[in-house]
Amino acid sequence: MIPNKEKWLEEASKKIKVPKEFIEKAFKDELYGNPPIDAPLEIPDIMDITYKYTYGGISRFFREIRDNKQLYGTRCTRCGKVWLPPRSNCNECYAPTEWVKLGDGAEIVTYTIVYYATSAFYGKTPYVCAFVKVDGADTLIMQNVFLKDVKNAKVGMRLKVQFKEDRNGDMGDFWFVPVEEAV
Amino acid sequence: MKKVGIIGVGTTQFKARWIEKTYYELAFDAAKLALEDAGIDKKEVGAVVYGIYNEFFERQFMPDVYIHNYIGMGLKPSVRVATGGATGGAAVFVGWSWVASGLYDIVMVLGVEKATDNYNYFVGHPTPETLKAILFSGDMTFETPMGLTAAASYALPLIAHINKYGTPTERQMAMVSVKNHKNAMNNPIAQSPKLLTVEDVLNSKMITYPFKFYDNCLYSEGASAIILASEKVANALSDNPAWITGVGLSLDKAFAGEREDMTIFTSSLYAGRDAYKMAGIKNPRKELDFAELHDAFTGAEILSYEAFNFCEPGDGGRLIEEGIVEMDGELPVSPSGGLIGCGHAVGATGVMQTGEAALQVQHRAGKRQVKNARVGLVQSIGGPATAWTVALIVEREDKIRGKGRGAGKKKTKK
Repeated sequence: MIPNKEKWLEEASKKIKVPKEFIEKAFKDELYGNPPIDAPLEIPDIMDITYKYTYGGISRFFREIRDNKQLYGTRCTRCGKVWLPPRSNCNECYAPTEWVKLGDGAEIVTYTIVYYATSAFYGKTPYVCAFVKVDGADTLIMQNVFLKDVKNAKVGMRLKVQFKEDRNGDMGDFWFVPVEEAV
Repeated sequence: MKKVGIIGVGTTQFKARWIEKTYYELAFDAAKLALEDAGIDKKEVGAVVYGIYNEFFERQFMPDVYIHNYIGMGLKPSVRVATGGATGGAAVFVGWSWVASGLYDIVMVLGVEKATDNYNYFVGHPTPETLKAILFSGDMTFETPMGLTAAASYALPLIAHINKYGTPTERQMAMVSVKNHKNAMNNPIAQSPKLLTVEDVLNSKMITYPFKFYDNCLYSEGASAIILASEKVANALSDNPAWITGVGLSLDKAFAGEREDMTIFTSSLYAGRDAYKMAGIKNPRKELDFAELHDAFTGAEILSYEAFNFCEPGDGGRLIEEGIVEMDGELPVSPSGGLIGCGHAVGATGVMQTGEAALQVQHRAGKRQVKNARVGLVQSIGGPATAWTVALIVEREDKIRGKGRGAGKKKTKK
């Protein structure tokens, strides 16, 4: 039996960043039951790591979004293909790319509606994930499309980019809406 | 290349949670079963290939090194393969290449996965954390933040396909779910044996459009091992070994937005083409007796019929409607119940499917035996938007008739 239940709960809560009452509920039998000595024993645990991640050669893409509310792609200096997501190098020609300003319009090429998501997306379901073709780009980018009714999403739907007010320099800074629902 | 036989198969129960076993204990059980089935001692194994997908599932990086120790294989050659959902199939592919090259005479391929030691305390269930653990496999900069779940990753090519051909319909997909849950009734290790109706599937709750609850496979925990052997060893140890006569592996563009055609599982097309070529299969619909496909989602099975040339693009839905892929049909698909019926213990899945194919061609598949099964296809899919496919052809040598496409009569050099 756990020698000091209150202390065990407190330390578990601190370790896995979950309030005590939820841990207590999950470990009710271990805390207050009397499981046999050889019954499977579970422990609360977490895997966690922090980063200071670099965007490397495509840093400007996120600065343009964050600072200027502008989408940029990269154009291969040899074949002229315009990449979005941007790449510093073309994977067909192995040539460097250059920055190119893209339009604010786009089109759904394929999509899905997520009704059941991970814990990281609670409160956001249902949401639309789509591969969209941004005007001026030759490849598709994965982005969320927000609609008044998710069921209206369609292949070929015309979209307009929207930017978040408080931008962080990540993909969450922008999304798409149907042209007629754009502000 | 040398001939490669399958001389032992061992799979634990696939189930939602193995609370009574750790991942290395599960791995041990499968290893023991496979060695017993082959009738060999662990000392005779020359090398081991491990298939284990997700570090967060196992709560351990490099889990293979601890398994290798735990199952008493210390100092023997070993690598771990991790190719998403295709991990098991790719582990078999690597094991096959070690034997086919003549490097080792006996190789164990061992796949294992825990998936539900993750736990979400707020909902009192593992699933949200399990999905989150998988989400780290998406591109962390451009895709993971958009909430692209594994189901969504399969739905994107499927919706593109539906937009082009009008198929598969939700009803056709539901029929695949009914079939695979039903096939699992004959499989003692299956997680989800069920008699469902098409309406049960259509009325189950929407998970990721167009997949309803019963269109999805479930997360499983389990382990599966097979013993591969060179021709000489296989023939010495077994009267009737199964032979791997064709292999193919393709990795498509993981940034699926760069692909030219979103409506086809291109990696399956390429892997299948290579495997068919090596095995000398020209008309898969006629020449295959069964297939174990990667039905992570019902629609994926239907698109796989097309990618593997069982039918023309756009016609996949008709194969389930016309009963062709049912147990008593022309080309039964996933007699084991597949991922939907048997379960998806990721690293173990492709190994389990290969083992199932071996049991089928050796005619020891019990109640799920396909009559006169001689040659089967195994498909293992993984990665974002079905980026990876491993395809394997497993067959028996038809010694009796002497006119079969026996593995021994074929040249497998490329």
